[in-house]
Amino acid sequence: MVILIMAWRNIWRNKMRSIVIILSVAVGLFAGIAILALYQGMMKSRVRTVIDAEVGHLQIHDINFKKDYESKFVLKNGAAILRAVNLIPGVKLAAARSITTGMLSTTTGSAGVQINGIIPQLEYGISQLKRKIIKGKAFDPAKNNEIMIGQKLATKMKLKVRSKLVLTFTDTSDNMVSGAFRVAAIYKSDNTPLDEKNVYVTMTDLNTLLGISGGFHEVIILLKNDQDVKKIQLALKQKFPAYQVESWREISPETDFMVKTTDQYSYIIMVIIMFALAFGIVNTMLMAVLERTREIGMMMALGTNRLKVFSLIFLETIFLTLAGTPVGVLIGWGASTYFNKHGLDLSGMGRDMMSSFGFGTMVYPEFPADKLLAVLLIVAGTAVISCIFPAIKAVKLQPVDALRR
Amino acid sequence: MIMNTVIDAHNVSKVYNKETIPVYAVNNVHLHIERGEFTALVGPSGSGKTTLLNLIGGLDKPDEGHIYINGLDITKLSANELIDFRLKNIGFVFQSFNLIPVLTAKENVEFIMLLQGVKRGGRDKRVKQLFDQIEMADKIDSRPAQLSGGQQQRVAIARALATKPQFVLADEPTANLDSQSAANLLDIMAKLNKEEQTTFLFSTHDQRVIDRARRVVTLVDGRITNDTASVSTKHRDANEKK
Repeated sequence: MVILIMAWRNIWRNKMRSIVIILSVAVGLFAGIAILALYQGMMKSRVRTVIDAEVGHLQIHDINFKKDYESKFVLKNGAAILRAVNLIPGVKLAAARSITTGMLSTTTGSAGVQINGIIPQLEYGISQLKRKIIKGKAFDPAKNNEIMIGQKLATKMKLKVRSKLVLTFTDTSDNMVSGAFRVAAIYKSDNTPLDEKNVYVTMTDLNTLLGISGGFHEVIILLKNDQDVKKIQLALKQKFPAYQVESWREISPETDFMVKTTDQYSYIIMVIIMFALAFGIVNTMLMAVLERTREIGMMMALGTNRLKVFSLIFLETIFLTLAGTPVGVLIGWGASTYFNKHGLDLSGMGRDMMSSFGFGTMVYPEFPADKLLAVLLIVAGTAVISCIFPAIKAVKLQPVDALRR
Repeated sequence: MIMNTVIDAHNVSKVYNKETIPVYAVNNVHLHIERGEFTALVGPSGSGKTTLLNLIGGLDKPDEGHIYINGLDITKLSANELIDFRLKNIGFVFQSFNLIPVLTAKENVEFIMLLQGVKRGGRDKRVKQLFDQIEMADKIDSRPAQLSGGQQQRVAIARALATKPQFVLADEPTANLDSQSAANLLDIMAKLNKEEQTTFLFSTHDQRVIDRARRVVTLVDGRITNDTASVSTKHRDANEKK
């Protein structure tokens, strides 16, 4: 107990030095928490975008469809599947799409695209397509052969609203077919590569060209709760064993990978920050040991064993490091909470660069409460590592030599 | 059976610069200290007083000879055993006070008792007793920085005696004190020597201390050249009458 009291009082012998270290730890910890919060917010936002605006929670396809996206692999009894899916508790909304790949051509050039034939009212609820429109209007039910294209594609192909273009692809009989379309709207999402590759037409128009009448290739499902994905995926697999039922993790494995590895990257950065801080702590503690050589020698002369001397230096280092911890956590919590509410605008980093990775520029950091224990362990680990060298220096002192100084 | 001989040093030598030009800080010293002695080691600077005290206190190991404390040869103890031995058997008073600055006077005295695991009731009783003996009951909660040199040294003596050690080693205890403080300190040391029968062995070249010692051992160039009772008995007798 006396060692504990001495350790706490010792760190305040040189108030300025201790305050500098405490603040350094606080700032370092804040930086680590900020990075974790930023990444957590970005990943959550990305996953939200993937689910709410791109692929939904689940998709159903014919088991052969996704190999080459051949249009002949239509979902048999697609309408019945769609009805059955909408009856499952936990399903918020389900929509159908016809899909094929082809060429989009204009007078100036051509580009490979994925052509999505949609039922507009269902699609708008699933992928927020209508909200993404930046020029033009949504499909007019009275008109045929309208198309929505992404802004990146529009810029690349020099297309505007009302521009004409031709879509060419193979139908279910492997015949080359083409159709002329007029641009009804240009849309923009946070995922530029997706915008560049995906065009939307009505299912009726696409199916006419494909020759599949009322059929479609994909059922896309949005659930009420993210946590129900596994459960409902299993239920659908049991209900429709002949079909391929995939979750968003399987459809967008790069997003899943990003989510899984982001934490590891964040921890690595945190460890690097604390490692750099450790040098400052080691320096401070070495100075403290050097200044107190005679005092430590005197303590050992009186009968303080090496373990207690080691404990004294160890505790001083721990106190110094941990004193800054609540400050750093508080600042980190405050900043995360504030920016979670108001958003952090990262457009200065380059809107195009962010959207090329599928990220919006407005980020809502989230305080990583579930990772706080790991963060505290990293801080404690830093303290332990920092104390080793100064403590060994202290216990190696010979009382007779130390007392002479 | 209580042994009367507390310290028994036989043929003790300490050599520096063995490989080049050997310097004997302590040279073939025999010293025998009985329980209750109030003995001064005197000699000029560099005579080996502090070195001999360090050897007897187990802070250093002799290159030759043996040192027996209550019959135990401390030259055979390991470093960790010596730390434990010092804790249980020896009290130290250093020249430069050496109180722990972040502890109060009371906590400094309690420090040794805490290291030995003395329970709170025992500690409180002993602390009160010691602070009454050193006449500093009103300064019990003061930090060393709030005490004068003489007061700090008195607290150091109280700490040295806290667990009733076999003997107290004091290295130039009055060196940094003014005359009045030095005299007060000596009175207290003599009183504690008499009341608690604690053996005091101190190194000094302060005549005031030499005059108060009942035995004076003179060291020159690491050798004992004289070992006698103090020449000046007037002051000693006067104190005993008080």
